[in-house]
Amino acid sequence: MSAGVTIRCLLGMLGTDVHSKGIRTLAQLLRDRGVEVIYLGEHNTADGMVSALIAEDADVIGLSFSTSTYVHYTRDLIERMKAAGVDDVPVMLGGLIHREDEAELRSIGVKGIFGPGSTTEQIVRFLEEVTGKRLSAGRDGFG
Amino acid sequence: MTASADALDVAAAVRRGDVRASARLISRIEAGDESIVPVLQSLYLAGGNTPVIGITGPPGAGKSTLVDQLVSRYRAKSLTVAVLAIDPASPFSGGAILGDRVRMVRHNTDSGVFIRSMSSRGVLGGLARAAGDALIVLGAMGKDLILVETVGVGQNEIDIMRHAGSVVILQTPGTGDAVQAVKAGILEIGDVFVVNKSDTPGADRTVAALREAIEFRYDPHDANAWLPSVLKTQATDASGVEELVQTIERHAAHLASHPQAQRQRLLAQARVRITELVSEGLRRRYLGSHAMNAPFAALLDDLVDRRTDPYAAAGRLLGAVG
Repeated sequence: MSAGVTIRCLLGMLGTDVHSKGIRTLAQLLRDRGVEVIYLGEHNTADGMVSALIAEDADVIGLSFSTSTYVHYTRDLIERMKAAGVDDVPVMLGGLIHREDEAELRSIGVKGIFGPGSTTEQIVRFLEEVTGKRLSAGRDGFG
Repeated sequence: MTASADALDVAAAVRRGDVRASARLISRIEAGDESIVPVLQSLYLAGGNTPVIGITGPPGAGKSTLVDQLVSRYRAKSLTVAVLAIDPASPFSGGAILGDRVRMVRHNTDSGVFIRSMSSRGVLGGLARAAGDALIVLGAMGKDLILVETVGVGQNEIDIMRHAGSVVILQTPGTGDAVQAVKAGILEIGDVFVVNKSDTPGADRTVAALREAIEFRYDPHDANAWLPSVLKTQATDASGVEELVQTIERHAAHLASHPQAQRQRLLAQARVRITELVSEGLRRRYLGSHAMNAPFAALLDDLVDRRTDPYAAAGRLLGAVG
């Protein structure tokens, strides 16, 4: 049952940010690489995202931001993940993330940061690295 | 020994409604982890008391939005709900975008609601089995009812819907004339038909076409027969949803008052479930990478070299199974 192994990635946006083109694009790119994307869309609360993370038993959580409030929202989310005991799930960020904020984001606990210019390849490599799973390399078509 | 102790722990946690334990168990079901079989066995034996409502229909018909509304209705009645939302996987990459949950985000923080997304990834023919096992878990969590949502009406979906006590088929206006409505496949499995997006033109015509086709199939002389209802809803503003809830209740009451029909349904479910396990067992036995052994390899050689034919070869294998 090698087909049973896959990476489940929760993708969503927090707060009032409505620029979802980026995260929808990423969702499709990751799907095409064999990732199971659980797509939460915009306007999530941190608590709602943590509940979804637990119920979906996702391997990774990915957030997209195009507004400057990302440090605040990400810190809030990771604190709630800690409170729920699921802060072992790696968090990655994408979108308009400024280089000068990266150090702070990493100190909060963000594991992957994919700002402008990042490639699908980099994200896929990150996902494989943090989950220890390989994406659909050995599919023989026999389920 | 430790395995069975572990199984007892997991089963107990699921039965306490522990979200994390239940979520992880479903992941192991999806991964085809055979070590969880004892957990599923014990949960199955203790289960069967949670009503399962199936919702299916073409992509974009509004299933997830309707499920979201149904969850709200049931929550308003203080009922707790588990949802299994199944989306197709890409046949090319095996990946998927599980997007049903995005319609249900308002229930994310409600501890009376458990929502799990599942993809149809690479579990050839095994999707219904995996969904059936996931339904065992959801049923054991102690929720008042279960909603299971799937796309389309292929064989897989029909097999999944067989796990449900009541099946709701969603259609939208403008998806075809009376001939489409009488095409085989959907009429046979639906207990309740819903024409969603009822504010779009043609809704009444779709309702009429469905009604005609359903009444044609209905045998009024069969004391156990249920005449499927046809309703209109507009899931975006919840109109018609309360009527749908009541119709589903009426169908459940019909089954309760017709024990023979109920029994037939449960026996059909049991038959499907056992067939799924047998066929998956065969698939695993003959297609798995470790499945090759000398007699099987010799049989394949005979087949390729035309010393035997596929029917005789399959007959020999099935004969060996007994």
